Amino acid sequence: MKEQETAPEPQSGIASRAVLGDPAAGDLAALGSAVVITHEDIDRAHDREQVSATRARRGFRPRLRLFWLLIGPGILVMLGENDGPSMLSYAATGARFGVGFFLPFVVLTFLMACVVQEMTVRLGAATHRGHAELIFERFGPFWGWFSMVDLMVGNFLTLVTEFIAIRAGLGFFGVRPAVAVCSALLVLSVALMTHRYWTWERIILGAAIFNLAFVPVALLTHPNWGAVGRALVTWSPLPGGVTQETVLILLANIGATVTPWMLFFQQSAIADKGLTIRDIRMGRVDTALGAALATVAALATMLATAPLFLRHMTAANFEAAEFAQALQPMIGHWGAALFALGMFEAGMVAAITISTSSAYAFGEVARRPHSLNLPFREGKSFYLVLLVEAVAAAGLVLIPGIPLVYIVLVVNVIAVLAMPPALLFLYMLVNDREIMGELVSPTWANALALAVVTILVGAGLLFGVSVIAPNALAMLGGR
Amino acid sequence: MEKQVDSAREPDVSGAMSRDEVASVITALEPDQLIAAKDRHHFPRRRLTRTETVLFWGLRIYLMFMVGVVMYQIWTGAR
Repeated sequence: MKEQETAPEPQSGIASRAVLGDPAAGDLAALGSAVVITHEDIDRAHDREQVSATRARRGFRPRLRLFWLLIGPGILVMLGENDGPSMLSYAATGARFGVGFFLPFVVLTFLMACVVQEMTVRLGAATHRGHAELIFERFGPFWGWFSMVDLMVGNFLTLVTEFIAIRAGLGFFGVRPAVAVCSALLVLSVALMTHRYWTWERIILGAAIFNLAFVPVALLTHPNWGAVGRALVTWSPLPGGVTQETVLILLANIGATVTPWMLFFQQSAIADKGLTIRDIRMGRVDTALGAALATVAALATMLATAPLFLRHMTAANFEAAEFAQALQPMIGHWGAALFALGMFEAGMVAAITISTSSAYAFGEVARRPHSLNLPFREGKSFYLVLLVEAVAAAGLVLIPGIPLVYIVLVVNVIAVLAMPPALLFLYMLVNDREIMGELVSPTWANALALAVVTILVGAGLLFGVSVIAPNALAMLGGR
Repeated sequence: MEKQVDSAREPDVSGAMSRDEVASVITALEPDQLIAAKDRHHFPRRRLTRTETVLFWGLRIYLMFMVGVVMYQIWTGAR
Protein backbone atom coordinates (compact mmCIF):
# COMPACT_ATOMS: atom_id res chain seq x y z
CA MET A 1 0.00 0.00 0.00
CA LYS A 2 1.23 3.47 -0.76
CA GLU A 3 2.41 5.15 2.43
CA GLN A 4 2.04 8.89 2.90
CA GLU A 5 3.79 10.65 5.72
CA THR A 6 1.27 13.48 5.81
CA ALA A 7 -1.79 11.25 5.73
CA PRO A 8 -4.10 12.16 8.60
CA GLU A 9 -5.10 9.36 10.89
CA PRO A 10 -8.45 7.87 9.91
CA GLN A 11 -11.17 8.66 12.39
CA SER A 12 -12.74 5.36 13.30
CA GLY A 13 -14.12 2.02 12.17
CA ILE A 14 -12.88 -1.48 11.59
CA ALA A 15 -11.57 -0.56 8.17
CA SER A 16 -9.54 2.35 9.46
CA ARG A 17 -7.96 0.15 12.09
CA ALA A 18 -7.06 -2.32 9.40
CA VAL A 19 -5.19 0.31 7.42
CA LEU A 20 -3.16 1.17 10.47
CA GLY A 21 -2.41 -2.44 11.14
CA ASP A 22 -4.50 -2.64 14.29
CA PRO A 23 -4.76 -6.29 15.34
CA ALA A 24 -8.38 -5.64 16.38
CA ALA A 25 -9.34 -5.16 12.79
CA GLY A 26 -11.62 -8.16 12.76
CA ASP A 27 -12.21 -9.82 9.43
CA LEU A 28 -9.84 -7.51 7.64
CA ALA A 29 -6.97 -9.06 9.51
CA ALA A 30 -7.69 -12.16 7.46
CA LEU A 31 -6.51 -10.25 4.44
CA GLY A 32 -2.99 -10.36 5.82
CA SER A 33 -0.88 -7.28 5.92
CA ALA A 34 -2.01 -6.17 2.49
CA VAL A 35 -5.25 -4.43 1.66
CA VAL A 36 -6.16 -5.10 -1.93
CA ILE A 37 -8.51 -2.53 -3.43
CA THR A 38 -10.12 -3.06 -6.81
CA HIS A 39 -11.93 -0.76 -9.17
CA GLU A 40 -15.17 -2.44 -8.17
CA ASP A 41 -14.52 -1.68 -4.48
CA ILE A 42 -13.94 2.00 -5.23
CA ASP A 43 -17.21 2.40 -7.16
CA ARG A 44 -19.19 0.52 -4.54
CA ALA A 45 -17.58 2.52 -1.73
CA HIS A 46 -18.53 5.73 -3.51
CA ASP A 47 -22.18 4.62 -3.58
CA ARG A 48 -22.08 3.56 0.06
CA GLU A 49 -20.58 6.88 1.15
CA GLN A 50 -23.58 8.65 -0.34
CA VAL A 51 -25.94 6.28 1.49
CA SER A 52 -24.14 6.81 4.81
CA ALA A 53 -24.06 10.59 4.43
CA THR A 54 -27.75 10.69 3.56
CA ARG A 55 -28.69 8.36 6.38
CA ALA A 56 -26.90 10.60 8.88
CA ARG A 57 -29.18 13.53 8.01
CA ARG A 58 -32.66 13.94 9.44
CA GLY A 59 -35.79 15.18 7.74
CA PHE A 60 -38.10 14.29 4.91
CA ARG A 61 -35.83 15.17 2.01
CA PRO A 62 -32.88 13.08 3.20
CA ARG A 63 -35.28 10.17 3.73
CA LEU A 64 -36.59 10.63 0.23
CA ARG A 65 -33.04 10.74 -1.09
CA LEU A 66 -32.17 7.61 0.85
CA PHE A 67 -35.15 5.91 -0.75
CA TRP A 68 -33.92 7.06 -4.18
CA LEU A 69 -30.41 5.79 -3.48
CA LEU A 70 -31.48 2.37 -2.25
CA ILE A 71 -34.32 1.41 -4.58
CA GLY A 72 -33.53 -0.45 -7.76
CA PRO A 73 -33.10 -4.23 -7.63
CA GLY A 74 -36.67 -4.86 -6.43
CA ILE A 75 -38.36 -2.63 -8.98
CA LEU A 76 -36.09 -3.89 -11.74
CA VAL A 77 -36.73 -7.55 -10.99
CA MET A 78 -40.49 -7.11 -10.77
CA LEU A 79 -40.87 -4.92 -13.84
CA GLY A 80 -38.25 -7.02 -15.60
CA GLU A 81 -40.43 -10.06 -14.99
CA ASN A 82 -43.31 -8.26 -16.71
CA ASP A 83 -41.51 -9.37 -19.83
CA GLY A 84 -42.50 -10.44 -23.34
CA PRO A 85 -44.02 -13.85 -22.52
CA SER A 86 -45.58 -12.46 -19.33
CA MET A 87 -47.35 -9.63 -21.12
CA LEU A 88 -48.39 -12.14 -23.77
CA SER A 89 -49.87 -14.34 -21.04
CA TYR A 90 -51.77 -11.42 -19.53
CA ALA A 91 -52.97 -10.28 -22.95
CA ALA A 92 -54.08 -13.80 -23.88
CA THR A 93 -55.76 -14.18 -20.47
CA GLY A 94 -57.71 -10.93 -20.87
CA ALA A 95 -58.73 -11.83 -24.41
CA ARG A 96 -59.71 -15.41 -23.53
CA PHE A 97 -61.29 -15.01 -20.09
CA GLY A 98 -62.23 -11.33 -19.89
CA VAL A 99 -62.66 -9.70 -16.48
CA GLY A 100 -62.96 -12.42 -13.85
CA PHE A 101 -61.00 -15.05 -11.93
CA PHE A 102 -57.59 -14.20 -13.31
CA LEU A 103 -57.54 -10.60 -12.02
CA PRO A 104 -57.30 -11.57 -8.32
CA PHE A 105 -55.21 -14.59 -9.29
CA VAL A 106 -52.54 -12.32 -10.78
CA VAL A 107 -52.56 -10.21 -7.60
CA LEU A 108 -51.96 -13.43 -5.66
CA THR A 109 -49.04 -14.39 -7.88
CA PHE A 110 -47.37 -11.03 -7.23
CA LEU A 111 -47.85 -11.50 -3.50
CA MET A 112 -46.10 -14.85 -3.93
CA ALA A 113 -43.30 -13.08 -5.80
CA CYS A 114 -42.97 -10.61 -2.90
CA VAL A 115 -42.59 -13.44 -0.38
CA VAL A 116 -39.90 -15.11 -2.47
CA GLN A 117 -37.96 -12.01 -3.44
CA GLU A 118 -37.89 -10.68 0.13
CA MET A 119 -35.79 -13.71 1.01
CA THR A 120 -33.23 -12.79 -1.65
CA VAL A 121 -33.05 -9.26 -0.22
CA ARG A 122 -32.08 -10.60 3.20
CA LEU A 123 -29.71 -13.17 1.72
CA GLY A 124 -27.92 -10.64 -0.51
CA ALA A 125 -27.65 -7.98 2.21
CA ALA A 126 -26.45 -10.42 4.86
CA THR A 127 -23.87 -12.30 2.80
CA HIS A 128 -22.90 -9.80 0.04
CA ARG A 129 -22.82 -12.83 -2.26
CA GLY A 130 -24.76 -13.81 -5.32
CA HIS A 131 -27.24 -16.67 -5.29
CA ALA A 132 -25.23 -19.03 -7.51
CA GLU A 133 -22.10 -18.46 -5.43
CA LEU A 134 -23.90 -19.37 -2.21
CA ILE A 135 -25.48 -22.48 -3.73
CA PHE A 136 -22.10 -23.74 -4.95
CA GLU A 137 -20.37 -22.99 -1.67
CA ARG A 138 -23.01 -24.43 0.66
CA PHE A 139 -24.33 -27.35 -1.40
CA GLY A 140 -21.32 -28.14 -3.57
CA PRO A 141 -20.91 -28.38 -7.34
CA PHE A 142 -23.16 -31.44 -7.78
CA TRP A 143 -26.34 -29.65 -6.75
CA GLY A 144 -24.89 -26.33 -7.87
CA TRP A 145 -24.65 -27.44 -11.49
CA PHE A 146 -28.23 -28.69 -11.45
CA SER A 147 -29.32 -25.25 -10.37
CA MET A 148 -27.09 -23.58 -12.96
CA VAL A 149 -28.42 -25.73 -15.81
CA ASP A 150 -32.00 -24.89 -14.77
CA LEU A 151 -31.11 -21.22 -14.74
CA MET A 152 -29.15 -21.12 -17.97
CA VAL A 153 -31.68 -23.15 -20.01
CA GLY A 154 -34.59 -21.15 -18.62
CA ASN A 155 -32.79 -17.85 -19.16
CA PHE A 156 -31.84 -18.64 -22.72
CA LEU A 157 -35.36 -19.71 -23.69
CA THR A 158 -36.80 -16.66 -21.98
CA LEU A 159 -34.29 -14.44 -23.70
CA VAL A 160 -35.44 -15.81 -27.05
CA THR A 161 -39.00 -14.81 -26.19
CA GLU A 162 -37.85 -11.31 -25.22
CA PHE A 163 -36.46 -10.82 -28.70
CA ILE A 164 -39.72 -12.19 -30.12
CA ALA A 165 -41.52 -9.48 -28.11
CA ILE A 166 -39.09 -6.84 -29.33
CA ARG A 167 -39.59 -7.99 -32.90
CA ALA A 168 -43.36 -8.10 -32.50
CA GLY A 169 -43.57 -4.70 -30.78
CA LEU A 170 -41.47 -2.89 -33.37
CA GLY A 171 -43.12 -4.93 -36.14
CA PHE A 172 -46.31 -2.98 -35.47
CA PHE A 173 -44.49 0.14 -36.69
CA GLY A 174 -43.22 -1.63 -39.79
CA VAL A 175 -39.67 -2.16 -38.50
CA ARG A 176 -38.08 -5.20 -40.13
CA PRO A 177 -37.19 -8.09 -37.76
CA ALA A 178 -33.43 -7.87 -38.35
CA VAL A 179 -33.42 -4.12 -37.74
CA ALA A 180 -35.57 -4.51 -34.59
CA VAL A 181 -33.35 -7.21 -33.11
CA CYS A 182 -30.08 -5.43 -33.97
CA SER A 183 -31.41 -2.17 -32.48
CA ALA A 184 -32.25 -4.01 -29.26
CA LEU A 185 -28.73 -5.46 -29.10
CA LEU A 186 -27.34 -1.96 -29.60
CA VAL A 187 -29.46 -0.58 -26.73
CA LEU A 188 -28.31 -3.45 -24.50
CA SER A 189 -24.67 -2.76 -25.34
CA VAL A 190 -24.98 0.99 -24.77
CA ALA A 191 -26.48 0.37 -21.31
CA LEU A 192 -23.44 -1.75 -20.48
CA MET A 193 -20.98 0.87 -21.64
CA THR A 194 -21.60 2.91 -18.49
CA HIS A 195 -19.43 0.39 -16.57
CA ARG A 196 -21.16 1.58 -13.45
CA TYR A 197 -23.86 -0.31 -11.59
CA TRP A 198 -25.57 2.89 -10.40
CA THR A 199 -25.83 4.46 -13.88
CA TRP A 200 -26.89 1.17 -15.45
CA GLU A 201 -29.58 0.72 -12.80
CA ARG A 202 -30.97 4.24 -13.31
CA ILE A 203 -31.09 3.82 -17.10
CA ILE A 204 -32.91 0.50 -16.87
CA LEU A 205 -35.25 1.84 -14.16
CA GLY A 206 -36.14 4.71 -16.48
CA ALA A 207 -36.90 2.27 -19.28
CA ALA A 208 -38.79 -0.12 -16.98
CA ILE A 209 -41.28 2.56 -15.93
CA PHE A 210 -42.62 2.43 -19.51
CA ASN A 211 -44.10 -0.93 -18.50
CA LEU A 212 -46.93 1.24 -17.22
CA ALA A 213 -47.71 2.17 -20.84
CA PHE A 214 -50.38 -0.53 -20.58
CA VAL A 215 -52.31 1.60 -18.05
CA PRO A 216 -53.44 4.31 -20.49
CA VAL A 217 -54.21 1.57 -23.02
CA ALA A 218 -56.50 -0.08 -20.46
CA LEU A 219 -58.16 3.26 -19.70
CA LEU A 220 -58.81 3.79 -23.41
CA THR A 221 -60.90 0.60 -23.44
CA HIS A 222 -63.21 2.11 -20.75
CA PRO A 223 -63.26 -0.92 -18.40
CA ASN A 224 -66.36 -1.70 -16.38
CA TRP A 225 -64.92 -0.82 -12.96
CA GLY A 226 -67.84 -2.43 -11.15
CA ALA A 227 -67.07 -5.76 -12.83
CA VAL A 228 -63.39 -5.32 -12.05
CA GLY A 229 -64.17 -4.74 -8.36
CA ARG A 230 -66.51 -7.73 -8.24
CA ALA A 231 -63.94 -9.99 -9.91
CA LEU A 232 -61.23 -8.93 -7.44
CA VAL A 233 -63.50 -9.75 -4.50
CA THR A 234 -65.32 -12.87 -5.73
CA TRP A 235 -62.62 -14.48 -7.93
CA SER A 236 -65.22 -15.06 -10.62
CA PRO A 237 -66.37 -15.64 -13.25
CA LEU A 238 -64.15 -18.33 -14.77
CA PRO A 239 -65.70 -18.91 -18.20
CA GLY A 240 -65.45 -22.55 -19.31
CA GLY A 241 -64.46 -23.86 -15.86
CA VAL A 242 -61.27 -25.83 -15.26
CA THR A 243 -60.03 -27.05 -18.63
CA GLN A 244 -56.62 -27.87 -20.08
CA GLU A 245 -56.48 -24.36 -21.52
CA THR A 246 -57.38 -22.83 -18.15
CA VAL A 247 -54.60 -24.78 -16.47
CA LEU A 248 -52.10 -23.73 -19.14
CA ILE A 249 -53.05 -20.07 -18.68
CA LEU A 250 -52.93 -20.53 -14.91
CA LEU A 251 -49.40 -21.87 -15.15
CA ALA A 252 -48.36 -19.22 -17.64
CA ASN A 253 -49.61 -16.49 -15.29
CA ILE A 254 -47.72 -17.96 -12.34
CA GLY A 255 -44.63 -18.25 -14.53
CA ALA A 256 -45.14 -14.62 -15.46
CA THR A 257 -44.42 -13.52 -11.89
CA VAL A 258 -42.32 -16.13 -10.10
CA THR A 259 -39.27 -17.46 -11.95
CA PRO A 260 -35.76 -18.69 -11.06
CA TRP A 261 -33.87 -15.87 -12.80
CA MET A 262 -35.49 -13.38 -10.44
CA LEU A 263 -33.86 -15.03 -7.43
CA PHE A 264 -30.42 -14.96 -9.01
CA PHE A 265 -30.77 -11.43 -10.38
CA GLN A 266 -32.05 -9.66 -7.28
CA GLN A 267 -29.59 -11.24 -4.89
CA SER A 268 -26.64 -10.54 -7.19
CA ALA A 269 -27.85 -7.00 -7.87
CA ILE A 270 -28.15 -6.34 -4.13
CA ALA A 271 -24.59 -7.58 -3.62
CA ASP A 272 -23.38 -5.51 -6.59
CA LYS A 273 -25.20 -2.41 -5.33
CA GLY A 274 -23.57 -3.00 -1.95
CA LEU A 275 -26.69 -3.11 0.23
CA THR A 276 -26.11 -4.11 3.83
CA ILE A 277 -28.21 -5.37 6.72
CA ARG A 278 -29.22 -1.78 7.54
CA ASP A 279 -30.76 -1.48 4.07
CA ILE A 280 -33.00 -4.54 4.31
CA ARG A 281 -36.09 -2.54 5.26
CA MET A 282 -35.67 -0.30 2.21
CA GLY A 283 -34.96 -3.40 0.12
CA ARG A 284 -38.35 -4.73 1.18
CA VAL A 285 -40.00 -1.42 0.26
CA ASP A 286 -38.22 -1.55 -3.09
CA THR A 287 -39.50 -5.08 -3.71
CA ALA A 288 -43.06 -4.29 -2.61
CA LEU A 289 -43.12 -1.14 -4.74
CA GLY A 290 -41.84 -3.10 -7.73
CA ALA A 291 -44.51 -5.75 -7.17
CA ALA A 292 -47.23 -3.08 -6.90
CA LEU A 293 -46.13 -1.39 -10.13
CA ALA A 294 -45.87 -4.72 -11.92
CA THR A 295 -49.31 -5.77 -10.68
CA VAL A 296 -50.83 -2.55 -12.01
CA ALA A 297 -49.18 -3.12 -15.40
CA ALA A 298 -50.29 -6.78 -15.49
CA LEU A 299 -53.90 -5.99 -14.58
CA ALA A 300 -53.91 -3.14 -17.09
CA THR A 301 -52.79 -5.52 -19.83
CA MET A 302 -55.59 -7.93 -19.00
CA LEU A 303 -58.13 -5.12 -18.93
CA ALA A 304 -56.76 -3.73 -22.20
CA THR A 305 -57.38 -7.01 -24.05
CA ALA A 306 -60.63 -7.87 -22.23
CA PRO A 307 -62.68 -6.29 -25.07
CA LEU A 308 -61.28 -9.07 -27.27
CA PHE A 309 -62.96 -11.60 -24.95
CA LEU A 310 -64.10 -14.70 -26.84
CA ARG A 311 -62.32 -13.64 -30.02
CA HIS A 312 -59.94 -16.49 -29.25
CA MET A 313 -56.72 -14.55 -29.45
CA THR A 314 -53.90 -16.85 -28.38
CA ALA A 315 -50.14 -16.81 -28.22
CA ALA A 316 -50.17 -17.67 -31.91
CA ASN A 317 -51.39 -14.15 -32.54
CA PHE A 318 -48.37 -12.69 -30.82
CA GLU A 319 -45.79 -12.97 -33.55
CA ALA A 320 -47.38 -10.32 -35.70
CA ALA A 321 -48.34 -8.14 -32.73
CA GLU A 322 -51.94 -8.92 -33.57
CA PHE A 323 -53.17 -7.96 -30.12
CA ALA A 324 -52.26 -4.35 -30.87
CA GLN A 325 -53.78 -4.59 -34.33
CA ALA A 326 -56.98 -6.17 -33.01
CA LEU A 327 -57.33 -3.45 -30.40
CA GLN A 328 -56.86 -0.64 -32.91
CA PRO A 329 -60.56 -0.28 -33.88
CA MET A 330 -61.43 0.17 -30.19
CA ILE A 331 -58.60 2.33 -28.89
CA GLY A 332 -57.34 4.01 -32.03
CA HIS A 333 -53.91 4.02 -33.64
CA TRP A 334 -52.15 5.80 -30.76
CA GLY A 335 -53.57 3.39 -28.20
CA ALA A 336 -52.52 0.40 -30.29
CA ALA A 337 -49.12 1.98 -30.83
CA LEU A 338 -48.74 2.39 -27.07
CA PHE A 339 -49.62 -1.29 -26.60
CA ALA A 340 -46.98 -2.30 -29.17
CA LEU A 341 -44.42 0.00 -27.52
CA GLY A 342 -45.25 -1.61 -24.19
CA MET A 343 -44.49 -5.02 -25.69
CA PHE A 344 -41.17 -3.70 -27.03
CA GLU A 345 -40.28 -2.23 -23.63
CA ALA A 346 -41.23 -5.45 -21.83
CA GLY A 347 -38.90 -7.44 -24.08
CA MET A 348 -36.10 -4.87 -23.98
CA VAL A 349 -35.88 -4.45 -20.20
CA ALA A 350 -36.19 -8.19 -19.59
CA ALA A 351 -33.52 -8.96 -22.22
CA ILE A 352 -31.14 -6.74 -20.27
CA THR A 353 -31.99 -8.01 -16.78
CA ILE A 354 -32.13 -11.69 -17.72
CA SER A 355 -28.84 -11.68 -19.61
CA THR A 356 -27.32 -9.84 -16.65
CA SER A 357 -28.57 -12.52 -14.26
CA SER A 358 -26.86 -15.17 -16.42
CA ALA A 359 -23.63 -13.20 -16.44
CA TYR A 360 -23.71 -12.72 -12.67
CA ALA A 361 -24.31 -16.44 -12.12
CA PHE A 362 -21.54 -17.44 -14.54
CA GLY A 363 -19.06 -15.10 -12.86
CA GLU A 364 -19.98 -16.32 -9.39
CA VAL A 365 -19.58 -19.97 -10.32
CA ALA A 366 -16.46 -19.54 -12.46
CA ARG A 367 -15.02 -17.18 -9.83
CA ARG A 368 -14.46 -14.53 -12.44
CA PRO A 369 -15.07 -10.82 -11.83
CA HIS A 370 -18.79 -10.14 -12.04
CA SER A 371 -20.02 -6.63 -11.55
CA LEU A 372 -21.57 -3.88 -13.58
CA ASN A 373 -19.00 -1.61 -11.93
CA LEU A 374 -16.19 -3.25 -13.88
CA PRO A 375 -14.42 -1.62 -16.79
CA PHE A 376 -14.60 -3.90 -19.83
CA ARG A 377 -10.94 -4.96 -19.66
CA GLU A 378 -11.39 -6.18 -16.07
CA GLY A 379 -14.76 -7.83 -16.59
CA LYS A 380 -14.32 -9.32 -20.06
CA SER A 381 -15.89 -12.70 -19.19
CA PHE A 382 -18.84 -11.03 -17.42
CA TYR A 383 -19.67 -8.75 -20.33
CA LEU A 384 -18.96 -11.43 -22.95
CA VAL A 385 -21.32 -13.97 -21.36
CA LEU A 386 -23.99 -11.29 -21.20
CA LEU A 387 -23.53 -10.23 -24.82
CA VAL A 388 -22.99 -13.70 -26.30
CA GLU A 389 -26.18 -15.02 -24.70
CA ALA A 390 -28.14 -12.03 -25.97
CA VAL A 391 -26.69 -12.29 -29.49
CA ALA A 392 -27.41 -16.05 -29.64
CA ALA A 393 -31.02 -15.56 -28.54
CA ALA A 394 -31.47 -12.67 -30.95
CA GLY A 395 -29.99 -14.72 -33.79
CA LEU A 396 -32.36 -17.60 -33.11
CA VAL A 397 -35.35 -15.31 -33.49
CA LEU A 398 -34.19 -14.38 -36.99
CA ILE A 399 -33.86 -17.97 -38.27
CA PRO A 400 -36.78 -18.61 -40.64
CA GLY A 401 -39.04 -21.51 -39.67
CA ILE A 402 -38.08 -21.68 -35.98
CA PRO A 403 -41.26 -22.55 -33.99
CA LEU A 404 -41.26 -19.35 -31.96
CA VAL A 405 -44.84 -19.80 -30.81
CA TYR A 406 -43.97 -23.06 -29.04
CA ILE A 407 -41.03 -21.42 -27.33
CA VAL A 408 -43.27 -18.58 -26.11
CA LEU A 409 -45.85 -21.02 -24.79
CA VAL A 410 -43.38 -23.26 -23.06
CA VAL A 411 -41.18 -20.64 -21.41
CA ASN A 412 -43.52 -19.61 -18.60
CA VAL A 413 -44.57 -23.20 -17.97
CA ILE A 414 -40.95 -24.32 -17.62
CA ALA A 415 -40.29 -21.39 -15.30
CA VAL A 416 -43.05 -22.59 -12.95
CA LEU A 417 -41.82 -26.18 -13.06
CA ALA A 418 -38.22 -25.15 -12.32
CA MET A 419 -39.25 -22.94 -9.42
CA PRO A 420 -39.78 -25.52 -6.61
CA PRO A 421 -36.19 -26.88 -6.80
CA ALA A 422 -34.88 -23.29 -6.95
CA LEU A 423 -37.02 -22.35 -3.97
CA LEU A 424 -35.69 -25.27 -1.96
CA PHE A 425 -32.15 -23.88 -2.32
CA LEU A 426 -33.41 -20.43 -1.35
CA TYR A 427 -35.40 -21.74 1.59
CA MET A 428 -32.44 -23.67 2.97
CA LEU A 429 -30.02 -20.78 2.48
CA VAL A 430 -32.27 -18.24 4.13
CA ASN A 431 -32.71 -20.57 7.10
CA ASP A 432 -28.99 -21.30 7.33
CA ARG A 433 -27.91 -19.73 10.61
CA GLU A 434 -24.23 -20.15 9.71
CA ILE A 435 -24.52 -17.59 6.91
CA MET A 436 -27.59 -15.62 7.98
CA GLY A 437 -27.04 -15.34 11.72
CA GLU A 438 -30.02 -13.64 13.32
CA LEU A 439 -31.50 -12.87 9.91
CA VAL A 440 -32.82 -16.38 9.33
CA SER A 441 -36.45 -16.50 8.28
CA PRO A 442 -39.02 -16.22 11.05
CA THR A 443 -41.68 -18.92 11.26
CA TRP A 444 -44.33 -16.86 9.46
CA ALA A 445 -41.97 -16.23 6.53
CA ASN A 446 -41.21 -19.94 6.32
CA ALA A 447 -44.92 -20.75 6.38
CA LEU A 448 -45.52 -18.32 3.50
CA ALA A 449 -42.57 -19.75 1.55
CA LEU A 450 -43.87 -23.29 2.00
CA ALA A 451 -47.33 -22.14 0.88
CA VAL A 452 -45.75 -20.73 -2.30
CA VAL A 453 -43.91 -24.01 -2.95
CA THR A 454 -47.14 -25.96 -2.37
CA ILE A 455 -49.06 -23.76 -4.82
CA LEU A 456 -46.29 -24.10 -7.43
CA VAL A 457 -46.02 -27.88 -7.11
CA GLY A 458 -49.84 -28.16 -7.07
CA ALA A 459 -50.14 -26.06 -10.23
CA GLY A 460 -47.41 -28.14 -11.89
CA LEU A 461 -49.14 -31.41 -11.02
CA LEU A 462 -52.48 -30.02 -12.22
CA PHE A 463 -50.79 -29.21 -15.50
CA GLY A 464 -49.38 -32.75 -15.67
CA VAL A 465 -52.84 -34.22 -15.10
CA SER A 466 -54.34 -31.91 -17.74
CA VAL A 467 -51.85 -33.21 -20.33
CA ILE A 468 -51.67 -36.89 -19.39
CA ALA A 469 -55.26 -37.46 -18.29
CA PRO A 470 -57.50 -34.69 -19.63
CA ASN A 471 -60.60 -36.73 -18.71
CA ALA A 472 -59.62 -36.69 -15.04
CA LEU A 473 -59.30 -32.92 -15.26
CA ALA A 474 -62.79 -32.67 -16.78
CA MET A 475 -64.12 -34.64 -13.79
CA LEU A 476 -62.23 -32.34 -11.45
CA GLY A 477 -63.82 -29.35 -13.16
CA GLY A 478 -67.26 -30.91 -12.82
CA ARG A 479 -67.72 -31.36 -16.54
CA MET B 1 3.39 -3.62 2.24
CA GLU B 2 2.98 -6.91 0.51
CA LYS B 3 0.07 -7.23 -1.85
CA GLN B 4 -1.68 -10.39 -2.86
CA VAL B 5 -3.56 -10.33 -6.11
CA ASP B 6 -5.58 -13.23 -7.45
CA SER B 7 -4.95 -13.21 -11.18
CA ALA B 8 -8.43 -14.52 -11.88
CA ARG B 9 -9.94 -11.50 -10.16
CA GLU B 10 -9.63 -7.82 -10.63
CA PRO B 11 -6.30 -5.98 -10.44
CA ASP B 12 -5.32 -4.16 -7.28
CA VAL B 13 -5.48 -0.40 -7.80
CA SER B 14 -4.55 0.62 -4.27
CA GLY B 15 -0.99 1.39 -5.38
CA ALA B 16 -2.29 4.36 -7.30
CA MET B 17 -4.28 5.63 -4.33
CA SER B 18 -3.35 7.72 -1.34
CA ARG B 19 -3.60 6.21 2.13
CA ASP B 20 -6.61 8.47 2.73
CA GLU B 21 -8.38 7.18 -0.34
CA VAL B 22 -7.72 3.59 0.59
CA ALA B 23 -8.99 4.29 4.09
CA SER B 24 -12.16 5.91 2.81
CA VAL B 25 -12.90 2.95 0.55
CA ILE B 26 -12.40 0.50 3.39
CA THR B 27 -14.43 2.62 5.79
CA ALA B 28 -17.34 2.91 3.39
CA LEU B 29 -17.60 -0.83 2.84
CA GLU B 30 -18.27 -3.60 5.30
CA PRO B 31 -15.21 -5.85 5.68
CA ASP B 32 -16.74 -8.75 3.79
CA GLN B 33 -17.81 -6.48 0.93
CA LEU B 34 -14.24 -6.05 -0.28
CA ILE B 35 -13.49 -8.20 -3.31
CA ALA B 36 -10.27 -9.37 -1.67
CA ALA B 37 -12.20 -10.54 1.37
CA LYS B 38 -14.73 -12.38 -0.79
CA ASP B 39 -11.88 -14.07 -2.65
CA ARG B 40 -10.32 -15.35 0.52
CA HIS B 41 -13.33 -16.27 2.56
CA HIS B 42 -15.66 -18.99 1.36
CA PHE B 43 -18.53 -20.49 3.26
CA PRO B 44 -17.87 -24.13 4.15
CA ARG B 45 -19.89 -26.88 2.50
CA ARG B 46 -22.84 -27.99 4.61
CA ARG B 47 -23.80 -31.61 5.10
CA LEU B 48 -27.26 -32.44 3.86
CA THR B 49 -29.51 -34.40 6.17
CA ARG B 50 -31.31 -37.46 4.82
CA THR B 51 -34.58 -35.50 4.59
CA GLU B 52 -32.89 -32.70 2.67
CA THR B 53 -31.30 -35.16 0.25
CA VAL B 54 -34.65 -36.85 -0.34
CA LEU B 55 -36.26 -33.43 -0.94
CA PHE B 56 -33.54 -32.43 -3.41
CA TRP B 57 -33.86 -35.67 -5.36
CA GLY B 58 -37.66 -35.61 -5.16
CA LEU B 59 -37.89 -32.14 -6.66
CA ARG B 60 -35.25 -33.00 -9.26
CA ILE B 61 -37.26 -36.04 -10.37
CA TYR B 62 -40.43 -33.92 -10.34
CA LEU B 63 -38.76 -31.38 -12.63
CA MET B 64 -37.43 -34.03 -15.04
CA PHE B 65 -40.82 -35.71 -15.21
CA MET B 66 -42.67 -32.44 -15.78
CA VAL B 67 -40.26 -31.37 -18.52
CA GLY B 68 -41.09 -34.71 -20.16
CA VAL B 69 -44.79 -33.82 -19.88
CA VAL B 70 -44.13 -30.46 -21.55
CA MET B 71 -42.24 -32.19 -24.37
CA TYR B 72 -45.11 -34.63 -24.79
CA GLN B 73 -47.57 -31.73 -24.96
CA ILE B 74 -45.48 -29.97 -27.59
CA TRP B 75 -45.19 -33.20 -29.58
CA THR B 76 -48.94 -33.88 -29.48
CA GLY B 77 -49.65 -30.21 -30.24
CA ALA B 78 -47.36 -30.27 -33.27
CA ARG B 79 -49.01 -33.37 -34.76
